Amino acid sequence: MPRSRARAPPKTTDEDAPRVRADALKPTLALAQSIYEQLDHGEIPRMRLPLRTKQNLTFLEREGVWKLGRQMGTRSARKLDGALMLLRTFYLVDFINEMARDRKTSTLRELYYISEAWEEAKFHSEDESNLLIEDLEVLCERLREDFRLHPEENGASVIGDLTIREKNRKGVVKTINCRDDVGDGGYALPFNVEKEKIQFVSTKAKFVIAIECGGMVDRLAENGFDEQYNAILVHLKGQPARSTRRFLRRVTEELKLPIVVFTDGDPWSFRIYASVAYGAIKTAHLSSYLATPAAEFLGVTASDIENYDLPSDKLSEQDIRALQAELTDPRFATAEWRAEIELMLKNGKKAEQQSLAKYGLNYVTEHYLPEKLTEMGVL
Amino acid sequence: MVPPPTIAHQLAARQREISVAEFFERNRQILGFDNPQRSLLTTVKEATDNGIDACEEAGILPEILVEIAKEGEDRIRVSVTDNGPGILRKEIPNVFARLLYGSRFHSNRQARGQQGIGISAAVLYANLTTARPAKITSKVEEEEAAHVLELFLDTQKNQPRIASEDVVLWDRPHGTKIELVLKARYIRGRQSPYEYLRGTAIVNPHARIVLVEPDGTRVTFERATDEKPPIAKETLPHPYGLELGELGYLLKATKRPTLTEFLTKDLQGVSARAAKEVVAAAAIKASLPPASVHGDDQERLLTALRTIPLVAPSSEGLSPIGAMLIKRGLRNVLGEARPDFFAPPVSRPPKVRGGFPFMVEVGLVYGGALPADQSIQILRFANRVPLLFQQGACAITNAVSNLDWRRYGLDQKGGSGLPSGPALLLVHVASNKIPFTSEAKEAIAEDPEIDREITLALQVAARHLRTHLSRRTRRDLASEKFAIILKILPKLAEKTSHLVGKEIPDLTPVITRIMDVVNIETPVTSTPDGVWVPVEVTNYTPRARVLELFVELSPDLMGKASFEPAPDGTEPALGRAWWTLPKLVPSGKTRLELRFPAKTDVEANDFDWYVAGIDESHLLGADTLPGDWDVRLPRTIVEAAEAAEAEAHATGAGDEEVDYDAAESSASAAEDD
Repeated sequence: MPRSRARAPPKTTDEDAPRVRADALKPTLALAQSIYEQLDHGEIPRMRLPLRTKQNLTFLEREGVWKLGRQMGTRSARKLDGALMLLRTFYLVDFINEMARDRKTSTLRELYYISEAWEEAKFHSEDESNLLIEDLEVLCERLREDFRLHPEENGASVIGDLTIREKNRKGVVKTINCRDDVGDGGYALPFNVEKEKIQFVSTKAKFVIAIECGGMVDRLAENGFDEQYNAILVHLKGQPARSTRRFLRRVTEELKLPIVVFTDGDPWSFRIYASVAYGAIKTAHLSSYLATPAAEFLGVTASDIENYDLPSDKLSEQDIRALQAELTDPRFATAEWRAEIELMLKNGKKAEQQSLAKYGLNYVTEHYLPEKLTEMGVL
Repeated sequence: MVPPPTIAHQLAARQREISVAEFFERNRQILGFDNPQRSLLTTVKEATDNGIDACEEAGILPEILVEIAKEGEDRIRVSVTDNGPGILRKEIPNVFARLLYGSRFHSNRQARGQQGIGISAAVLYANLTTARPAKITSKVEEEEAAHVLELFLDTQKNQPRIASEDVVLWDRPHGTKIELVLKARYIRGRQSPYEYLRGTAIVNPHARIVLVEPDGTRVTFERATDEKPPIAKETLPHPYGLELGELGYLLKATKRPTLTEFLTKDLQGVSARAAKEVVAAAAIKASLPPASVHGDDQERLLTALRTIPLVAPSSEGLSPIGAMLIKRGLRNVLGEARPDFFAPPVSRPPKVRGGFPFMVEVGLVYGGALPADQSIQILRFANRVPLLFQQGACAITNAVSNLDWRRYGLDQKGGSGLPSGPALLLVHVASNKIPFTSEAKEAIAEDPEIDREITLALQVAARHLRTHLSRRTRRDLASEKFAIILKILPKLAEKTSHLVGKEIPDLTPVITRIMDVVNIETPVTSTPDGVWVPVEVTNYTPRARVLELFVELSPDLMGKASFEPAPDGTEPALGRAWWTLPKLVPSGKTRLELRFPAKTDVEANDFDWYVAGIDESHLLGADTLPGDWDVRLPRTIVEAAEAAEAEAHATGAGDEEVDYDAAESSASAAEDD
């Protein structure tokens, strides 16, 4: 599938591409040049960035994902917040250039602490620093890894008959089967899941099932679901990290496997599915690279709660607001999703995936999943 | 038809004089003794009011000591000591142990208590609930020693009964102390003695009030001023407020030989000419002795008095708190909440309703530690007495609720009801005759004239609040801009210049573009040598400015001021001075100075600064010159002002871009890694 050159640098998926590209520094310096020139001309310094809001998502037919649209916002030194973010940007650019010179990398959390020395420009939360890094990704059309910044090891786990080859920290290449060569915890995904790090060797699996909660992953593993149905279980750990989403994209695309997403039945789980399948709002600039348009939502759906008579909780005020926000989210603007969201609002109920245990520990693997998967045509 | 005599006799047999004890029992509520908590408050209130009134009449700065101690289960000992002139021995029993005995009932001026029920009712309540006498200690200056009397109120005869009497040495020149043991409960908070004394301290900043609470806590409301409020003068009754019966009483009691003399000398507002018209209209002979005017003649006389135009009732009988003392009192008592703003207190001119003068005063405080998420506090006062009960039924509360406070910067659901925000309102209604909703005097009754005056006063205070809030918004915006140009911009220039390997460029043009204001700093600095106000005007706009600066202060204060350089024009009677400033290039500044003798009572709020030659949105630390200043401006200023106006219109159509950092992104915050 052809990929846009605009925001997702295709080179990152090339065989043996160096993780940190020297040319990542060039666009950062171009930003500095632009601000310098504005100051020199007596203009109030500013930058223009595409808005990362749900109103600015556009659907890319060709790729089947949601990406940033054309609406632009201005970050200007006219306002205090804007001025601070501009200053932070260049502390960050300075830091990135320094790391490149010293051949170092930094975790996102370390960067947050590095900013302690930036005086008024220091970050007040890790959210703030992460947002700025994403801004820089958008502005420079690079990935944060290109800036030598990476998340901490996330360790989302994979269980199932999938053989991979991983080049570990010492440069040794290991071949690992994610069912036979791992312990009960499964194979832990590193933050870097690109080809130069991980290659897929073989699999007998017929499909991938991405699961929101660890308890449900354990249940399926204990019940031998992966072996019985030839499935690869991937733990999402709530809102999935970039590496998890990138892994899902690669594994399904490269091995041509169908993928289903199995979550709780609540508004937040809908958003988990959306970020896997359609692309997340915050990282919409990377949707061509992180989203898996083939992913299908398995449940728990609002109608499952009724059909399976699951133990449920009343929707909270916050849940209701979240559902209402989803009704104005372009990613959910399909007849199916509208019906699902409106049904949940109407019934006023939500349920956890583990509520299926009401009918015993085997119910989920013997009844619920086989039924749903058959219905979806996966089995 | 005449009823059979037997029934009349039966009825007559049942009629008898009710004792004061019964009267008290039946009227506990209106007298303020319906529960133990309230009884304590009423007792403290009556004793304190008497003390302050006594001091005021004698021209003494009041010192009131209120001591409250627990004496067994639900029994409390209260003692209130004042430094008033003292009470003569022969008056003590009647003052404290006889209902409806007082010196003020017939006087026509504003005072705290009037009926003479209060303190005796407290004594009676103590007698009834604990069977203990009231102990009164009082000393007048002329006598060596103090009299100590223990009193009961005889509930059959409404007469004092002296239980014991003594003469003791008392270490004060004069004063009175009352001690009572009563069934009561002490609380702090709303409707408590504490709240009452605090309110009293606010409106009586010349008093020093000390409260000792049962747990030994000593609360002192310090005196904030040595200035005594003017004593309300006693005034003659005005015909507009007279009832027919009262007129009859006055006609009979007067010693004036003729009706004309009675009208002009015993009543207020009746001139000789008016008297002539009145008697003519009433068709009574002017030379008649007043006592011989009877029946229909009295009625015609009263009608004439009400139809002939008379001089309006005098407000000399009123005792307002006064703007200065409202400010001092609020500052003194609310100081620890550190409010940001004390609105200039509003004193409405006296008005008349039903023959009695009244006036309304309002104080408003905003910000600081006052709670922001609750309804505003309203301190209600009637004749300088705090009103603690029946807030919802009071004309003051209604006037506050009926004003749309949203226009003045406070939150208010639907534009009526009590507004919320970190504000406190003080509303004082002073009158020789306040229409209370009940004898308990807890709330002022609805009255269109009083309501109108309260509303007008509230609006003035509210306008001050709005001005303050809009100035604050502009100041906040400016301090944000100062943070940008002083802290952030230089670093941004340094970082980017360093990254591209160039010299740091001159930032002046960017700074003036970001600020785009002329800033006027007017700090007030006190030194032992004098008080000075160094004024600094800086042009943080990208163009040259020609400006005229104006200051307004009280004429009194202006008389003490010296200016450097000399103003280009003054109007001393109005307290105004102005300067044509030298032309200011971008980033250019100029200074001038006001000086006052050492210890002059000056604060920043005493000055209003105005500028001509620039529009409001480009001005900081001053306002544009109000239209009503009849000042002839130099031609250059007029031209500058016109140019500024044109510029203001032009910038209105500026680039409308979405602020990236303000754009809604919360939807995505909960979603993603």
